[in-house]
Amino acid sequence: MALPRLTGTLRSFSNVTKHEDYSEELADLRTKRSKLHEQLLKSDLTWKKIIKFVDDNLDKKEHQTVNGDLKTILQAAKQIVGAENGQEAIESGAVFLFKTFHRKECVGHDETKAIKQMFGPFPSSSATAACNATYRIASHFTEEQLTALIQMAEEQNGDNRVFFGKNIVFSFDMHDLDHSEELPVNGEADAQKIISLDY
Amino acid sequence: YCIQIVETSFTHHKKKKQLQNKTYCHPEIKADRSFVLYRPPPVVRDPALVEEFLERAKFIADDLNWLLALPHDKFWCQVIFDETLQKCLDSYLRYAPRKFDALLDCLPEVNDMQKCLHRSVFLTFLRMSTHKESKDHFITPSVFGEIIYNNFLFDIPKILDLCVLFGKGNGLLLQKMIENIFTQQPSYFGDLDETLPTVLQVFNNILHKCGLQCEGASAEPQKLEEKVNVTPGNMPLQELKDIVLYLCDTCTTLWAFLDVFPLACQTFQKHEFCYRLASFYELAIPELESAIKKRHYEDNSVFADLWRRISHSRKRMIEAFHILINQVCLQPILESRYWHLGSVVLASYLIAVVGEIVSSFSGLLEKMNRYSYLFLRDYDELFPVEDDVSLLQQASSTLDETRTAYILQAVESAWEGVDRTKAQVVKDPT
Repeated sequence: MALPRLTGTLRSFSNVTKHEDYSEELADLRTKRSKLHEQLLKSDLTWKKIIKFVDDNLDKKEHQTVNGDLKTILQAAKQIVGAENGQEAIESGAVFLFKTFHRKECVGHDETKAIKQMFGPFPSSSATAACNATYRIASHFTEEQLTALIQMAEEQNGDNRVFFGKNIVFSFDMHDLDHSEELPVNGEADAQKIISLDY
Repeated sequence: YCIQIVETSFTHHKKKKQLQNKTYCHPEIKADRSFVLYRPPPVVRDPALVEEFLERAKFIADDLNWLLALPHDKFWCQVIFDETLQKCLDSYLRYAPRKFDALLDCLPEVNDMQKCLHRSVFLTFLRMSTHKESKDHFITPSVFGEIIYNNFLFDIPKILDLCVLFGKGNGLLLQKMIENIFTQQPSYFGDLDETLPTVLQVFNNILHKCGLQCEGASAEPQKLEEKVNVTPGNMPLQELKDIVLYLCDTCTTLWAFLDVFPLACQTFQKHEFCYRLASFYELAIPELESAIKKRHYEDNSVFADLWRRISHSRKRMIEAFHILINQVCLQPILESRYWHLGSVVLASYLIAVVGEIVSSFSGLLEKMNRYSYLFLRDYDELFPVEDDVSLLQQASSTLDETRTAYILQAVESAWEGVDRTKAQVVKDPT
């Protein structure tokens, strides 16, 4: 339950605010997830580009092993995204999994959270399979090669932009209750007693 | 709906002439981002609730970081036209836990995420209150004033929330932000003026809930079925807790605002705020304290918490009163703002000023019940009235001694029958 607040009263009973209706916002998490899916589909890094990257940078004798791992990632994406969402969504999911795991040896807490945030609940075995396959693929390439590939997506997201206020010294200190040293004895009836204001 | 927001000026090197590049802001430029609403950390460590909090918070943190990294013109387009962003920020101000709320036992990752959000929200409001971001990126002050006001980017409740959430650690920066908002858009003074009757009504409502009647309150007809004999002493404990929490939040928020933006004091005084605050204090505090002390508690920590909150509220009310008196009466004289006007004008001004102080206290002099002069005594204990009067006397030798004597006499009367040395011993055991 919301705590009683002065500003809550002012929002409700004064005429100086925009009266917001929050009742329609109950499904905002679902809307947000679908927006993220849309963004994922628009990413510059596509599944086809990952396949081309593998083709261009590996010997043919390594192709068979790597192709098997690529298929594993795509299969895992199908399990996580859901086959009913179509090939485009599955491939975008596979790109997301590749980006998430390309520097990871195992599925950690952060990766689990990231996948869940994007797709909702998912089978952990699929995530583990995708992680292992991505790790095997990544081991064929240098750090520079992988960075160049992944940056295709990050440049579009503007991660290199200047962050407003990055140099501002911010304090987390907040107004707190004063420390009261004096507590009256419970049940004391002396209304004239002076209570110290020096806390 | 298209707004010209940015005027980027630069010098054309060949012609050595100042050129202006006007940028226009249009809803179509806004990105379709869908900000989610903020919800506070869960009160209990339920894994599902914690997870939902973290998911929401991560979405907001990522989105605000994206927003803060946008170029100047795109940032303003988003801020003006993205209603989901405005609701997200507003929900944070409404529901972000204050440190003086009940203590939350949060998981470390919840605390870390909350801190991350807290900073990003502040930086977003900082950017929204800055019309000149760099020498090349700025908004004309008058246009800036219109944008923030017409789009409700800031309003009085939001400004109060900002003060209570960020005023302690980031006071200087917040002071600049709020001064700039009020300077570029003086309509906010009008809004504050319109808001104050509602603030005073909050005090009246608290008195009403305690079965007390405030002076000057409108005598509304009472519903027949309404309980009229409810007092803090016999009301349910939860109701008493709610009243004390509400009082604590109200006093802290008002004080935090006046502390950051003392220029608001003149508007407060238009509503006789000093007098109304002191009257409220005189009526409500003894009643609530007595009820808290007399009640039987199964858990003594509830008693300690209520007592701490009521003591805190007392102090904040007195400090708010002091800021008001200081800003409205004392500071102009100490800064010698009126000295150049000559002794006659100065004397008249001082009389008016002292009159302000006296009228703030004099209503209390008329109340001769068992709690009489409580406010005056408490105020004098924290901010000795004698010191203020002495400052006034030093500022002008033409000050009417009858009036100053009246004030000092009032303070003396307030202490009559009370052992001042006992109070001082309690204050300082050394």
